[in-house]
Amino acid sequence: MDNIMECRNLVKYYPGCLALNSVSLAVPKGQIVGLLGPNGSGKTTLIKLMNGLLTPTSGEILVNGMKPGVETKRIVSYLPERTYLNDWMDVKTMTDFFGDFYKDFRKDKAYEMLQRLGINPKDRLKTMSKGTKEKVQLILVMSREAELYVLDEPIGGVDPATRDYILNTIISNYSENATVIISTHLISDVEKILDGVIFINKGSIVLTSTVDDIRENEGKSVDALFREVFKC
Amino acid sequence: MLGKLLKYEIKSTARVFLPIYGLIIALALLNKFFIANNTYVYSNSTNKAMQIAATVSMMTYVAFIVALFVVTLVVLIRRFYRNLLGDEGYLSFTLPVSIHSHIDSKLIVTFMWEALSLIVAGFSIFIMTINGNTMQSFSKFCMGISEVYEKYGPLAHQLTAEAIIFVILSMLACILQIYASIVIGNLSGKHKMLASFGVFIGFGIVQQIILSNVYGGRFGKNIMDGESFAYFMRTELISMIIFSLVFAAVFYFITDWMLRKKLNIE
Repeated sequence: MDNIMECRNLVKYYPGCLALNSVSLAVPKGQIVGLLGPNGSGKTTLIKLMNGLLTPTSGEILVNGMKPGVETKRIVSYLPERTYLNDWMDVKTMTDFFGDFYKDFRKDKAYEMLQRLGINPKDRLKTMSKGTKEKVQLILVMSREAELYVLDEPIGGVDPATRDYILNTIISNYSENATVIISTHLISDVEKILDGVIFINKGSIVLTSTVDDIRENEGKSVDALFREVFKC
Repeated sequence: MLGKLLKYEIKSTARVFLPIYGLIIALALLNKFFIANNTYVYSNSTNKAMQIAATVSMMTYVAFIVALFVVTLVVLIRRFYRNLLGDEGYLSFTLPVSIHSHIDSKLIVTFMWEALSLIVAGFSIFIMTINGNTMQSFSKFCMGISEVYEKYGPLAHQLTAEAIIFVILSMLACILQIYASIVIGNLSGKHKMLASFGVFIGFGIVQQIILSNVYGGRFGKNIMDGESFAYFMRTELISMIIFSLVFAAVFYFITDWMLRKKLNIE
């Protein structure tokens, strides 16, 4: 298997809304891929399908050659756009929780990052600001040695300085064979770390390309191309 | 993985139940103290302030017992809804754990708290009422029971076993009925809670229709003495056990299927 994620004629239909319209797509291993598109384009739906949080209406989605299930959940590290942390836990309990359920979780790595961002492991999640919660969540997700990281809007809610730290964390924390799929609309911020991009709009794939190809063939940045393709 | 789920399930709910259990036992001890000192008996010699304290203590105790059963229900619903269908579901359903382990862990822990709540409530009453007289009547009661067991040996044992199994199964079926109602109600776009409640009532009506068709007119057809009634109950309980088992299985299947196929977290 050279592709970590593959979709074939993937359709997801919500009552009254076609969220994904026959999407066929392959993401090779060992890349950082940007899943880019305007609001409501189907990014989150696609990501939820990868994680088995939704079932396809028709078509197929495969993660490492398998349908989403217990086996794929072992190797996928997922950051949703929501804060999913259990309110009653403190940060330490949360890291224990991750350590209990994910074999690839590295506690030392998590504690190192927490310290770096000045987060006290004894702090209760209930009392944290939204931004801090997002940081904790990202630290937990990136402290796994997963094969596929799926990050839905990882830098949306944090300040630019933290943004840089997070992007560095992403680059420095993933091994060669691992793949990162990042969905965002803050393209200029993530552009420098991306290998490839997928443009998605109204449930259809508009373009898949490597960042180098865009720069060479179009002579412009991903951000500029995005603005052109999705011009309102 | 079920063990780990159980661990966190218990951790997250224990912090609600254990303090209530502690308070109930403490209040029962306090009430016992007042009862033992005859504080409740009105006479000139008793202290007015003590009487007020005793009354407040008893009322608080009763309020806590009521609260305990309300809380048990609220925690059962909230924990299932928030942890699986709310934002926490994003984490729960991306753990490498099967759907039925999620249901099992919640079912087991809820049952555990229900049983413990009953035991604590019973124990608190025991604390308050225990004295020479009640001990005597209690031992008489136990002797009476053992006489029955001696006389009817196997029948009595079988009846007891069947009754216990029936109670456990119907408790489980009831929890699963709530779970199934929540997952179905969750399909509705707005008013999820109201829809769940409607589904719950609907399930209840269906169960009533089935049961009244089966059992209608079977009880009380002819007047029986205790012994033949016991024999009658022995067979009836088995069919009731089978019914609760079927209901529990159906609700379990609905919950599992809905979470697998129709999951749609906000």
